[in-house]
Amino acid sequence: MKVLVPIKRVADPANANKVKVAGSEVSHDGLEWVMNPFDEWSLEAALRLTEDASAKTRTGEIVVVSIGPKAAVDTLREAMGKGAERGVLVDGEDTALDSNVVAQILAKVVEKEQPDLVLMGKQSADGDSNIAGTKLAELLGWPVINYASHIETSDDGKTLTIKRELDVGVQTLKVQGPAVITCSDRILKPGTIKNGVTPADFEYPDLGDLNSRLSNLKNIMAARKKPLDELGLGDLGVEPVRVDEYVGFELPAGRSGQAQFLESVDELVQKLQSEAKVL
Amino acid sequence: MAVDLFNPTPEHAQLREMVRRFAETEVEPQALEHDRSETFNLPLFRKLGELGVLGVTCGEEYGGAGLDAVAACIVHEELSAVDPGFTLAYLAHSMLFVNNVYQNANDEQRRRFLPGACEGTKVCGMCMSEPDAGTDVLGLRTTARRDGDFYVLDGAKMWITNGAISKDELGDAFLVYARMEGAPRSELTSFLVEKGTPGFSLGQKIEDKLGMRASPTAELVFEGCRVPVANRIGEEGTAMLHMMRNLEIERVTLAAMSLGIARRSVEVMNDYARERKSFGEPLNRFGQIQRHIAESYAEYMAGRAYTYQVAGQMDLAKPGQRLDTDGVKLFCATMGKNVADRAIQVLGGYGYTGEYRVERLWRDAKLLEIGGGTVEAHQKNMTRDLARLTKLR
Ligand SMILES: Cc1cc2nc3c(=O)[nH]c(=O)nc-3n(C[C@H](O)[C@H](O)[C@H](O)COP(=O)(O)OP(=O)(O)OC[C@H]3O[C@@H](n4cnc5c(N)ncnc54)[C@H](O)[C@@H]3O)c2cc1C
Repeated sequence: MKVLVPIKRVADPANANKVKVAGSEVSHDGLEWVMNPFDEWSLEAALRLTEDASAKTRTGEIVVVSIGPKAAVDTLREAMGKGAERGVLVDGEDTALDSNVVAQILAKVVEKEQPDLVLMGKQSADGDSNIAGTKLAELLGWPVINYASHIETSDDGKTLTIKRELDVGVQTLKVQGPAVITCSDRILKPGTIKNGVTPADFEYPDLGDLNSRLSNLKNIMAARKKPLDELGLGDLGVEPVRVDEYVGFELPAGRSGQAQFLESVDELVQKLQSEAKVL
Repeated sequence: MAVDLFNPTPEHAQLREMVRRFAETEVEPQALEHDRSETFNLPLFRKLGELGVLGVTCGEEYGGAGLDAVAACIVHEELSAVDPGFTLAYLAHSMLFVNNVYQNANDEQRRRFLPGACEGTKVCGMCMSEPDAGTDVLGLRTTARRDGDFYVLDGAKMWITNGAISKDELGDAFLVYARMEGAPRSELTSFLVEKGTPGFSLGQKIEDKLGMRASPTAELVFEGCRVPVANRIGEEGTAMLHMMRNLEIERVTLAAMSLGIARRSVEVMNDYARERKSFGEPLNRFGQIQRHIAESYAEYMAGRAYTYQVAGQMDLAKPGQRLDTDGVKLFCATMGKNVADRAIQVLGGYGYTGEYRVERLWRDAKLLEIGGGTVEAHQKNMTRDLARLTKLR
């Protein structure tokens, strides 16, 4: 199975207070970059789909693709250090992109790479738009399944059984690949992915607070030598059409930092009515 | 782009990120418990093997990663920020044994000892100190005598990290420094000694340490211990050079451990002083507290820059950096202890208890002024080296 995993580097959410805004732009100066955590979930899912976890061997292929500046290569190498086979960097500055452009570019990469699946983050931790996956599926004419919590396949991704956890219950879908799938964090639990190769009784370790598996030093070093293509928009024949215009950015208002501890639920309900006036 | 002294290549940055995540998620939760119970966490140690860091500086052909002194510093700094005791066990294994064997032993010995040590199926250490010889290491009295295809070792080694993995079980393999009977003071010979070798036994696991309690420390006894000739490293009488080569990386990585302690202590006092109020104001509005925080940060960064600068210049195959490898440890050991001390001071009574971690870091920090050379030993060595210089560059 060949899976395409789009990956964005985002400013480290742990140091969000370093972000500075100026009019219609967010300043990138002095930020630390990390892999978008939502993309990490999809990468982990893709790794589980394309390996024999018990024999510790790779059985399929993962191509990770990022649209960004040259420095985004580090993020791709990180993903390759976790197991992805190849990387593609498409040259693009954040300020020139919106979800539409991203979907346009990814559609061209999909055309070129012909994957069985695109597994991507449901959103990015910086823009929080939650659009690119659906848009990409539309451009490709592929089915899209958002917030997958379980993925099962026994014929290398040709047919997939996918579960989504919704407020009203668990929905189970059967879909004919190729397809675009975005994941929820439930996908990181043990037992959520079955690929017909890893023995059914294999138990993945609980990842705890991690968003994807840890690499190991050998794989980090091996990732240096894995193939990485760098492409421009011209190479892909994309003429980007932006539909969003960034008008302005503002930092959120600071929080008061005040908290009250109440004795009982009754008291809480009463205060929500009389003081906060939200009930 | 400007060079990042602490992460000179993207691989260094990824290594740091990987070890930091591992430290936060798997090492941190067990640290206090193993400090209290004074026990070594063997399953966690084996996980370091899976991560591939046990052989960080050992060649790939023997199961290592073939990286440099900077990479070794990164692993030590990151692990030590959460659990210096566990990190000391890592250091004894990966630097004092694995790196030492890789640099000094022959190919056949490397093939025999390194793959298991890099995987983590074996727990190893290095035996230099003795009950009556520490700083005066050439005063060691363990002797070796040739007997056919064997050497017979007699003596005792003291303070050996990883010497025992539990109260009554020896570690797996050791690099042991001894002197041939009748050889001059400066001629040492080193041997690889495995658990199960006749005449090799556990004297005692040393209990009641102030800090570094998650690393096991033992006295080891050699009584007519018969070691095959194939386990002698190099020629008879050449081990001084091996020792010097390895002491340099030992000191730099011990300094990196102090950096981890200092970084964590700064983080803890910084967070606490922002949240905790006194006289209606956060603690970090008070000048005396500001001094603790700001000076600690600046000293930490100074030590960090010095350590990584020296590590970046090191050639692990050659000694020749004694002045600065002693220098970084001299500076960082005391710096780490002082910064941990200030963290306790900023936290007041809370800092004096286990929950806020700095109490443990403070106890652990003290060892770094003693182990791998006391601060006095560094002062002595450095002044001797400096006396030969007139101009510094
Ligand atoms: C937890 C722990 C782990 C250790 N792990 C290992 C290990 O794995 N392998 C190993 O071989 N060793 C290990 N050691 C031993 C360590 O390296 C020694 O403790 C250290 O070298 C000091 O030796 P000593 O304890 O015999 O003190 P001594 O050398 O007796 O020193 C006592 C005091 O006298 C001072 N002093 C001595 N000589 C001089 C001098 N010429 N000038 C001025 N002052 C002097 C010292 O600085 C010190 O303050 C470990 C020690 C500890 C506590």
